[in-house]
Amino acid sequence: MNDRAVNRPLQAAAYAFAILTSLLFLYPYWWMIVSAFRPTRAIMSAPLRPWPETLSFSIFTEIGRIGGVHLATYVTNSLVITTLSTLLGVIVTALGAYALTRRPKAPGFALIRYGFLVTIMYPYMLLVIPVYLVMFRLGLLGSYAGIILFLALGPLQFFLFEQFFRKIPPEVIEAAIIDGASEWRILTRVVLPMAAPITATVALITFLLNWSQWFPIMVISRSPDTYTLPVALLSMNSELGSNFQGIMALAVLTTLPITVLFLLAQKRAMEGMAAGAVKG
Amino acid sequence: MNAFFASLARDRVFYLFVAPFAALTILFGVWPILLSIQVSFTASATALRPNPSYVGLANYAAVLADPLFLASLWRTLLYTVLSVVANLAFAFGFAVLLDSALLRRGALFFRLAIFLPVITPDVAGYVVWRWLYDRSFGAINAALKMLGLPAFGGLSSADTAMLSLLIAELWHHAGFYMIIFLANLAIRDRALEEAAQIDGATAWQRWRYVILPQLRPALVINTVYALIQFLKTFTVVVVMTKGGPNDQTNFVSYYAYQLFDQARYGEATAMATILFAIVIGLSLTAYRIGDREPGQ
Repeated sequence: MNDRAVNRPLQAAAYAFAILTSLLFLYPYWWMIVSAFRPTRAIMSAPLRPWPETLSFSIFTEIGRIGGVHLATYVTNSLVITTLSTLLGVIVTALGAYALTRRPKAPGFALIRYGFLVTIMYPYMLLVIPVYLVMFRLGLLGSYAGIILFLALGPLQFFLFEQFFRKIPPEVIEAAIIDGASEWRILTRVVLPMAAPITATVALITFLLNWSQWFPIMVISRSPDTYTLPVALLSMNSELGSNFQGIMALAVLTTLPITVLFLLAQKRAMEGMAAGAVKG
Repeated sequence: MNAFFASLARDRVFYLFVAPFAALTILFGVWPILLSIQVSFTASATALRPNPSYVGLANYAAVLADPLFLASLWRTLLYTVLSVVANLAFAFGFAVLLDSALLRRGALFFRLAIFLPVITPDVAGYVVWRWLYDRSFGAINAALKMLGLPAFGGLSSADTAMLSLLIAELWHHAGFYMIIFLANLAIRDRALEEAAQIDGATAWQRWRYVILPQLRPALVINTVYALIQFLKTFTVVVVMTKGGPNDQTNFVSYYAYQLFDQARYGEATAMATILFAIVIGLSLTAYRIGDREPGQ
C-alpha cells in the first residue's frame, strides 16, 4: 500500500479537506478563548476578530462569585468529585468485573451482570430522575457521597476490565491455585500487577468522563454548594441578561484542564475508549 | 468433600469482591428503574406517597393519546435517523481518509482535532455553539455575512433549529465513531487486499468485497452506540433550545423531563419506559442484523 505512487492532485485535495475540517472543529475553542478576553460589547461589534484587543485577566476575578458561591468552590468540587469518583469507580469496577469473569456461573452473578447491562441501556437522563427518589430515601440528597457513589460506575470502564480479565490465560491462575495461593493472594500478587496498564487506562477515561458530568450532579445537589464547573456553567448560561464574556471565561476554565490532561495522554485515552466500545 | 468446601470458600471470596459493584448497580441502576416502572402505573398526585393509588395503564394511554408526545416521538426518531447517518458517514469518511496513504504527515493532528470535542465537557461545547449561532454575537452569521451568503436562522428559526443541534452534536460525537472505525481499519488483513489486487480487482471491488466486509464489527457497534446516543438526546436541548422554537427540538427525553418538573410523575415515567423499550428494541434489531452472516 505504502509504495504505490500517490496521486498528487488527489493528495492535495485530501489535505485541503482534512485541514479545513480540522480547523472548523478547532475554531469553537479559539473563539471561546478569544471571547473570554474581550468585553461583551467588543464581541457584538466584531464577532470574528481573531485575537483580543487587550490581554486582561480581570474577568476571572469578575466571575469570582457565581450564584452566591465562590468560583474556587466549583473548581474544588470538580477536582474532588472527579478524583474520588474515579478512584472509587476503578476499585469497585475492577473487583466486580474480576469476580464476574472468574466465576460467571456462581449463583446470582449472571443476574448482577444483566442488571448492569440493563442499567446502561436505560436512557441516562431519565434514570437520574428516579435516582433522585432513591437518594432521598437513602438520605444522600445534597451530599458529596451521593454524587460520588452515583458517578462511580460506567459501561466503558466495566467492559475494559471485563475484556482484560477474560484474556488472562486460565493456566496462570490454575498454577497459583496449585501452589496453594489464596484468592486474595492471587488477586494482589498475580492479577493486579498484570492489570496495572489497563487500570491506568480506565482511571484516565473515568476521570475524563466524570469531569464532564452535570445532570446527576445538578439533580442530587440541593444547592450550588456541591456544583461542579459544568453545572455552574449551565446555570450561568441559563440566567437572564447573561454575562457573555463571563460565560466564555467559565467555559475556558471548564474545558482547559481536561484538554491538557487528554493531550498528555491522548494515545492511551483514544485507544482505551475504542477498545472499551468495541467490547460493548 | 474437602475439595467441595474449598471451592465454596473460594466462591465466597468472589461474592465479597463483587459486593460493592452489585450494591452500586442495584442502588443506582436496578432499583431506580423498577421504581420508575412502578411510578408509571400510579396516579401522579399520589406517586410519591407511601401508598400510591395504582391506575393500571392509564398513564400509558394518556401519553399515547397526547399529540405533543407523538409529535415529540416522531421528531426524536427523525433526528436520530438523520444524526446516525450524518455521524457515521462523516466518521467513516474521515477514518478512511486518515487511514489512507494520502495523509501520512499530520494524521495525528487531524485525528486529535476531530477527537478533542469528544472529551470536551458537553455543556461547555454546547454553550459555545449556542453563542456561535447567535444572531448578534455569533461568529457563524458574521462569517456568512462577510462571504456575502444569506444569514443562517440557527436556533431561533423553527426550520433550522434541528439542523443546528445536529451540527453541534456531530462536532461532539463524531470523533468517537471515527476512532472505532480507525481501530477496525488498523486490524484488517491487508494481505487479502494485495491478493485481490494481484487477481486484478479494481479499487472499487477491493473496497466493496474485501475491506467493507471486514469493517462490519465497527459498523454494527457504531450503529448501536449512535442509535442509543441520539435517541436519548438531552444535554444539547437543555443548553441550546429548551425544546424550542415551536417545540421543534422538544425530543422525548426533554419532554419527559419537563413533565417530571411539573410533578406529572406518572406520565413522565411512562414516557421513560416507552423510550427504554424503543432503545432496547432498536439496539437488539441492529445487533441481530449485524450478526447475520453476509449473504444470508
